[in-house]
Amino acid sequence: MGLLAYIGRRALIAAALVVVVGTLNFAIMHLAPGGPETVFLNPRITPAAKALILKSFGLDKPIQEQYLLYLQGMVTGNWGLSYFYTQPAFDVIASRIPATLLLMVPSLILTVVIGILMGIVSVRRPYGLLDRFLSSFAFFFYSMPVFWLGFVLLTVFALFFRVLPPGGMVSITATRFDVLDYLEHLILPVTALTLINVANFSLLVRSSLLEVLDQNYILTARGKGLPERLVFYRHALRNGLLPTVTMLGLFVGSILTGAILTETVFSWPGLGSLTYDSITRRDYPVVLALFFIFSILTIVSNLITDIVYGILDPRITFD
Amino acid sequence: MTSELSIYRLRLANFWRGYSRNRGAAFSFFFLIALISIAIFADYLFPRNFEAPDISREMLPPSLSNPLGTDYLGRDQVALIAFGARTSLIIAFAAGGLLAVIGTLAGLLAGYHGGRMEGLIMRFADIFLTIPTLPLILVIVSLTGPSLLNVMFAIGLTSWPVMARVVRSDTLALMKREFIEIEKVMGASARRIVFRHLLPNQLNSIFVYTSLSIPVVILTEAALEFLGLAPLSVSWGFMLNTSLSYWILGTWWMSFIPGFAIFITALAFYFVSEGLKEALNPKLKRRRESLVVQLADRKK
Repeated sequence: MGLLAYIGRRALIAAALVVVVGTLNFAIMHLAPGGPETVFLNPRITPAAKALILKSFGLDKPIQEQYLLYLQGMVTGNWGLSYFYTQPAFDVIASRIPATLLLMVPSLILTVVIGILMGIVSVRRPYGLLDRFLSSFAFFFYSMPVFWLGFVLLTVFALFFRVLPPGGMVSITATRFDVLDYLEHLILPVTALTLINVANFSLLVRSSLLEVLDQNYILTARGKGLPERLVFYRHALRNGLLPTVTMLGLFVGSILTGAILTETVFSWPGLGSLTYDSITRRDYPVVLALFFIFSILTIVSNLITDIVYGILDPRITFD
Repeated sequence: MTSELSIYRLRLANFWRGYSRNRGAAFSFFFLIALISIAIFADYLFPRNFEAPDISREMLPPSLSNPLGTDYLGRDQVALIAFGARTSLIIAFAAGGLLAVIGTLAGLLAGYHGGRMEGLIMRFADIFLTIPTLPLILVIVSLTGPSLLNVMFAIGLTSWPVMARVVRSDTLALMKREFIEIEKVMGASARRIVFRHLLPNQLNSIFVYTSLSIPVVILTEAALEFLGLAPLSVSWGFMLNTSLSYWILGTWWMSFIPGFAIFITALAFYFVSEGLKEALNPKLKRRRESLVVQLADRKK
């Protein structure tokens, strides 16, 4: 089977997965109590007014019709009205995306760069002093709750030394766009997220590299007298970094988890805090749309990593 | 009888030698034993009314009478941490056990049957891997109501797919081995093959992966409590949640201590899983020895 057919088949499975996950999300949300009535909490609301509210959110229709509308909406971007903001869920979410990207992109880049460097340094002398130090460092942050790390950073740098702002994305006093102001607010949340993610990622890189170094072709390369430097960088590194590509795909899903906690601690106005707020407000259209977006992100990034992996690794024959 | 007993004792000694080679793991083991004992005997160690507010002593920094300070209601944080350990450990073991059982059964079924059954189970696992876990757990708990049991089930029911993947791939590898082929030819039942051969042969790796997932369970539970969606009466995460409202007053101990408890406990479980991995995986040990040989060679 050729590459195109493989991509096609994988895309088909991914699309089916999107529909199933979407349906599951819909089912979970509609089992949930509450809805717009509980958001517009007013015990004296008249039945007529209540009916009007339900009608304006399309909740007077039978459930199967709501489901079809939901599926249709997911494709067209018409995700319904937010119960809380009474604005289209699409707009609510779109307004939060830049903040999350501003936090995630630098953190992800730092994670990949630092994680790979740490992995390389570790396996140059496996179980040596530096390796043990770096591994302990990784265990350390791997076991650390990101919200607690955030709290410690905030306490030290914002409360005791007062050198960095205590959360938020911009200063309240800022009147115009100021890059330095954004940077100051970025330092602590990016540090917290990166430390936690690097812990995870560097351990993956390390174990993947170690496995490759154990292979016979490395022995061959050494046996034919290649300098260790070439053995490592030409033979081991290329193949050892391959599996970490797959892990990056799975990372996208964990980003949301990290984002919810980090954004809550640092009062960062992104998708994570929106997810948390919307769940507690029972603002289902927004929650559904958010779940949908993140499910799609995970599925698509898995799809891309699978394909990239297939291209990078010539041993994979697409069948 | 005695000889059997001594074999077990020998095995145990052998295991401990492998395990305690990792000093962090050995230390963590004793730390966790102490923590578990405190959690079990907390009722006898601390006054019954430890949860009663005492406004005259609220938000006191650590001192001799309250080594860990008091919280915003004037309650002794030592007692709160001890009872919080109970919540955290119950959920860690229960949810960890649940995810191990579900993941193992799913993986065994998929690996043994193959074909359509495998496809079905693994796609199902994919679905759970695709929906972001923490928000999913948040939704489940906010639907079913906050209780120890619901939190436990929410975490256990959503975290098994990775375990299933591991068990499946181990099962697939075992299925290709000769002794399974022979059993099949001899007409052994599926139940016999699965429970007499496939399961016992990978118990070690199941054990290691379960212990590896326990720190994750602890962190997830703490995150739930921290977000305030499952306010269990006494828990480390919820202590952090309530204390953050007073953060600006400089009451660092109220947030630092519960968070530190979460961190240290998760770290200890992580070290234990590392120790288990090294003790139960002879291949890894051999590799370490061969590396020592390599290094010794290089020095010459």
